[in-house]
Amino acid sequence: MSAAFARRLLAVAPILAFVSLLLFAALRLLPIDPAAMSMPPTATKVEIEAARHAMGLDQPVTTQYVIWLGQTLRGDFGNSIHMRRPVAGLLQETLPATIELSVMAMLIAGVIGLGGGLGLFALRDRRGEAVAETLTTLMMSLPEFLWALLLIFVFGVLLSALPFTGRLDPGMTRPVVTQFLLLDTLLVGRVDVFFSALRHMVLPAFALGVAFAPPIMRVLRASLIDAYQEDYIRQARLRGVGEARILLGHALQNAVLPTLTLMGVQFGFLFGGSLLVEVIYSYPGMGNLMVDAVRNADLPIIQAVGLTYCVVVLAITALVDGLVMLLNPRLRGA
Amino acid sequence: MSLLRAEGLCVTAHIGGVKVAALDGLSLALAPGKVLGLVGESGAGKSMLGRAMAQLLPPGFAVSAGTLEFAGQDLVAMAPDKRRALLGRQIGFIPQEPLSALNPVRSIGSQFAEHLRRLGVADWRAAALAALDTVQLPDLLDRFAHQLSGGMCQRVLIAMAFASKPALVVADEPTTALDVTIQARIVALMRDLQIAQNTAVLFITHDLRLAAQVCDEIAVLYAGRVVEHGPADVVLAQPLHPYTKCLLLAAPAMSGPRQALYALPDQMPGLRALAEMTGCRFAPRCPLARDACRKEVPALAGGAHKAACPHIAEIGKIAVSELAPAAVATTGETLVSVRGLGKTFRGRFGRKPTVAVHDVSFSIAAGEFVGVVGESGSGKSTLARLLMGLEHKTTGDIHLAGQDVGRWEAAARRLRLRTAQMVFQDPQSALNPRRRVGAIVTQALEAVGIGLAERRVRAAEILADLGMPQELADRAPSQLSGGQRQRVNIGRALCLVPKLLVADEIVSGLDVSVQAQLLGLLARLRTEHGFALLLISHDLAVVRYLCERVMVMRNGRVVEAGRTDAVFANPQHEYTRELLASVPGPAILR
Repeated sequence: MSAAFARRLLAVAPILAFVSLLLFAALRLLPIDPAAMSMPPTATKVEIEAARHAMGLDQPVTTQYVIWLGQTLRGDFGNSIHMRRPVAGLLQETLPATIELSVMAMLIAGVIGLGGGLGLFALRDRRGEAVAETLTTLMMSLPEFLWALLLIFVFGVLLSALPFTGRLDPGMTRPVVTQFLLLDTLLVGRVDVFFSALRHMVLPAFALGVAFAPPIMRVLRASLIDAYQEDYIRQARLRGVGEARILLGHALQNAVLPTLTLMGVQFGFLFGGSLLVEVIYSYPGMGNLMVDAVRNADLPIIQAVGLTYCVVVLAITALVDGLVMLLNPRLRGA
Repeated sequence: MSLLRAEGLCVTAHIGGVKVAALDGLSLALAPGKVLGLVGESGAGKSMLGRAMAQLLPPGFAVSAGTLEFAGQDLVAMAPDKRRALLGRQIGFIPQEPLSALNPVRSIGSQFAEHLRRLGVADWRAAALAALDTVQLPDLLDRFAHQLSGGMCQRVLIAMAFASKPALVVADEPTTALDVTIQARIVALMRDLQIAQNTAVLFITHDLRLAAQVCDEIAVLYAGRVVEHGPADVVLAQPLHPYTKCLLLAAPAMSGPRQALYALPDQMPGLRALAEMTGCRFAPRCPLARDACRKEVPALAGGAHKAACPHIAEIGKIAVSELAPAAVATTGETLVSVRGLGKTFRGRFGRKPTVAVHDVSFSIAAGEFVGVVGESGSGKSTLARLLMGLEHKTTGDIHLAGQDVGRWEAAARRLRLRTAQMVFQDPQSALNPRRRVGAIVTQALEAVGIGLAERRVRAAEILADLGMPQELADRAPSQLSGGQRQRVNIGRALCLVPKLLVADEIVSGLDVSVQAQLLGLLARLRTEHGFALLLISHDLAVVRYLCERVMVMRNGRVVEAGRTDAVFANPQHEYTRELLASVPGPAILR
């Protein structure tokens, strides 16, 4: 099994290489001159040429790529043109925030999705089914930014129940240990800060997660219905196994496999979808960083963030594949 | 006292607002420690009794009348919890498809644990190992179903069913999905456990001969009604009901002269057809039927040996006197010549390569019927696929009509297609569900650009050849019965009038009466068209009926070959002897 998993990881390398190439090429093709961008508008042509030489932009494109790749592999993403800070540092601050948001959103999607899927399955062929179907369709058809605005309006403005900007209440200072805020507050024992951070995350995480729940519900419901057609379910009933055990011990174990695969795919989308939600909630994550970078044509940041998205999505996919392999003996190899 | 007793049991299906009795007035009794066979073709309703016992009937089906008692308790009216307490403890079930009856994501051990803990066994591991030992299996508690063979899975399920020392075991076609040699072992194992534990067994099967040797009594079911019931050996030797007699005459025999098969017309009516039927449900197909049969339902009458037919005195009229059509005289020219043929499948992901076919040499003369027998995994299907160019050979030569077709070239392919055609096993998946029958049987003409008008003419010819009504040309495969679909499957291969037909298990999974129709069709078409046939089958009796020569394959090699009568009468190889001994007959239990 570990060999199969290692092969899986190995297959990631060429994908990463290809994406890096694509990112590099696409951004070099843009009609933007990074050297000119990095100089004040009053700079002379000679000064810009000097900057160009210093940045290696006068060398052949292939050499530029090799230099860029080498630096990237060492964790050196260069300096932000606009903010004049190392990109690596910016990533270190924003990536954990986005990961926290996405994981929480995925947890919410998973809980609503799996719970709802079991609920839909229980409702099959009953009167409530049509109502539940309509509700899930409605849930699914609203995009995450609309959810974000709706939630702000209801819980933030009308009910004033939850905060909807930033990560902490004003006046609180964030402890820094691992850059993961929720983790850090607990590590330094500041429970009040932890709950403040958690309260700030509820709305954005919910807005992001809720739209991803209905597909999970539907796949789980369909997989459960399929599983109940299988011979092993009938055989378990003929052995006198109770219905609760049949659902949890036999049907769900099989039905959850396609659902997990779907959730892995979704997590990739969700990670990318965090961008809009972060902007709406002024959430200091990678999405906001990216939006600023695009606005300022800050090439080093765009490249680094693009690559980070790619790495994270690939890592999640590999992780889910590993999990499915772990749960499905048929994939473990004979 | 009887352990299981059904009295006038009716299971009714609601189909589009119409009520049809899928089981109609079933009355049976099974004494403790006895084996009762419930025999019938598909659609007879033989699985309904077991399902009614567990109240796991298909949607739309319900017990509508009669009683069903287990040890004096009413199984139908019983509270679900109480019934569930009986299942797995007092009543065990052995399924038809062993591989899919085990949960694929749970280990054998965890499924044993669930079952044995429920039975209140403290040390489930020891009990599970003891149960596996009774079916001669080693410790495979950490394994999963997909790592085991079908026979092993079935033995696991038998061990589970007998683990609680149940009073009754219901075995629903327990060996249908298995090879004949495995079937013999499984049946013997079940018999041993049944005798050791004095368990009553309800043995459900479509195979009258298998039932006769396993069971004490047999009840023959036709369209939801018991038509004959009696001691197993008596029913087999002196059947009283026309259906039983026809069924026996329709199955090819393994000994005696090669008699022609009794061709029972049509097939068992479906539930929809039953709704409009009065009187005896077998009457439309019965050679002894008269008008009165279609009006009144005959009662099951008689002493120990009962039959539901008023005309049992005339049963002797149903007979087959002629012999099976003999081999067509051929020119003796060699049509197929295979030398040293081998196929090795590359091992993927570090697995070992598999030798599917190894050093096989044979030839087939024009017009000759040759059978290939062997169990699953013996390489017989790969051999057929190599011959048809669906797989590329690793070693050896294939010559068709004197020309080398083993090459991977367009010319060789064209030659092969003109000379040889293949009939696949499962017509359900071999026929494109989106095309009409007429288009399916003339696909080969379409491929070479023959116009529609000409194709229509040929389609009509083929349907006539197949003995099918012309109006079926416009039907989709889904609108045909299983037997008709397999006919279309054969007809498609005959379109270009090939010199060689390669047929892979074309009658397995079909009912005996439909099988007889198809075997008769092949024999007739042979005399009309004179093609040669390579018939791949696990059924030795079918090969004996159709083929002059036979090859016995095992582990990719031909272990014995020769004239069919000589090989079957005097097998030289140990494996051939084992195969022959496994065919249902008195020897199987020894």
